[in-house]
Amino acid sequence: MSKKQEYKQTILIADDSEMNRAILTDMLEDEYIILEAVDGLEAVSILQKHENEISAVLLDIVMPNMDGFGVLKIMNQQRWIEDIPVIMISSESGATQIERAYALGIADFINRPFNMAIVHRRLVNTMVLYAKQKKLAALVAEQVYENEKQSAMMIDILSHIVEFRNGESALHVVHVHTLTELMLSHLIQLTDRYSLTQADISMISRASALHDIGKISIPSEILNKPGKLTFEEFATMKTHTTIGAEMLEELTAYQNEPLVKTAHDICRWHHERFDGHGYPDGLKGDEIPISAQIVALADVYDALTSERVYKKAYSHEVAVHMILNGECGTFNPLLMQCLKAIADVIEEEFKNKTSTSNAQPQIKRTDDAVLGDYELPASGNTLQLMEHERMKYAFFSSRSNAVHFEYTFSPSMLMLRDWLDERSDLPEIILNPLEDEALLSILGKEALTGLADALKATTPEQPLAEYDCMAHLKGKTLHIQFICQTTWSSEETPQCTGALGKAMPYR
Amino acid sequence: MCLKECYIALGGDYDDVISRLRTEKLVQKFVLKFLNDPSYDNLCKALDEENYEEAFRASHTIKGVCQNLSFTKLYHSSHALTEALRSGWTPEAAQILPQVKADYQQTADAIHALQETIG
Repeated sequence: MSKKQEYKQTILIADDSEMNRAILTDMLEDEYIILEAVDGLEAVSILQKHENEISAVLLDIVMPNMDGFGVLKIMNQQRWIEDIPVIMISSESGATQIERAYALGIADFINRPFNMAIVHRRLVNTMVLYAKQKKLAALVAEQVYENEKQSAMMIDILSHIVEFRNGESALHVVHVHTLTELMLSHLIQLTDRYSLTQADISMISRASALHDIGKISIPSEILNKPGKLTFEEFATMKTHTTIGAEMLEELTAYQNEPLVKTAHDICRWHHERFDGHGYPDGLKGDEIPISAQIVALADVYDALTSERVYKKAYSHEVAVHMILNGECGTFNPLLMQCLKAIADVIEEEFKNKTSTSNAQPQIKRTDDAVLGDYELPASGNTLQLMEHERMKYAFFSSRSNAVHFEYTFSPSMLMLRDWLDERSDLPEIILNPLEDEALLSILGKEALTGLADALKATTPEQPLAEYDCMAHLKGKTLHIQFICQTTWSSEETPQCTGALGKAMPYR
Repeated sequence: MCLKECYIALGGDYDDVISRLRTEKLVQKFVLKFLNDPSYDNLCKALDEENYEEAFRASHTIKGVCQNLSFTKLYHSSHALTEALRSGWTPEAAQILPQVKADYQQTADAIHALQETIG
């Protein structure tokens, strides 16, 4: 058996003329699995069910119920058009129609009457092109990931060398990194004062690993002295901040790199204090960059909870209490608020970090083995995750006693998902649901309008709507409840694009 | 009557259809199917009911099928009818309609003759 026969790609043919479908099917059925749709509505319904299997769509323009442009609009809304190439076949030869089809994202346009060999060739080319594009996207994603991993690893190695010499636990850098990330993530929920993006957060966390690089130039007698430092020794010790900053300033080629700038700020100012009593510059309040403020707090917390030559480790509770009590210098009140709010998360996180620390190299190796396997690049993982989510969704909804639906305003269309067949004879897709007779016979005009009004009353800030009414199904009357959430566009003035919802027996 | 003679009788382009659809066997299969295509009946019914949107679609489908099969004569008249019905009923549609009916009859007759020969 040849390989082709083992795995056939699936093609959807949407054309209202049986003859036209038959001609295309006849030509393609040896090589592909063919799905046929007699109008636009059926095409959408098939796409909804087989989204992940369909490799290409051959689409007619003029069809009853919903024409080819309607199908393209929905393919755009659902983002199917990004992954599934559409080839339009039509006898419409007006330039405006063809341009409109291209504007809606079709891959190719073929005029009737077509030559079979040419349709075949263009179909194959289009599918190969899309497949190549997907492969390239996966490859780029993998490369970027690989690069990121490499540079993260270099920073880890570098900071580990520093820690090694300092006689601090190798986990110090890891802890500071984790704590910085946790604090920043919570901080942006509290305030937008520092306008930090997710990218900033991961950059600051990464740069935090470099906070003590200046210690490389501090004599080891001072660095590892078990007793209290003399005034002179402490003065030397303090210079690790400015020396670290200078080391980074000397990297002239990278002065404009955000990572280097951030690392510089952290090195120089992670011993500054909010009340101006820190060193080396005595900066006050928000004169100290937020990156350095947070690393300072993380550094203090980890110093407290770790064992040092001169002290035992404090517990998490004691450390947090000491910081909040102001026993370790003054910190930004916002950061105090953060620490209080996420204290439990931190404790939990660090328990895991310590207990898995020995196993980490092993895990990393396994990671490499998986990620290095070209059969399963990073994006392949994402696809698997999505597939998993889809299965989970299908599983839970099949076991809940609810009907899930999705509504789009333009075109006015209701898509029912997981409607159990024995409950009603409604189709999966209903155009203009407010005027649909089958739906009206179940819910009645009043309830349907009431539901629509409840949806209209929502806002982007308050998108949830609840509504309950009586439904008449197969001679029975049921009290049912709707829970819906309207969806909004991301424009400056958000437009309502539709709604998601479920209907279930009233409790 | 052979397939080629059938094409001459219905005013089609035999060479063109063979060049596009490749084999005589395949073309013959679809030519015979033409008689079962409901579009012409749909067209007549829609016009009776004055449903011109449906009439436009039916006429458009006939035109498309004729294009696929190189039924040149019926293609020309159904194409003209399609355009005349594109934005609803027009006097041109009334003028063209008898031609479409005559061409359809001629096409159907030729295919029936082919069918009898094959048996």
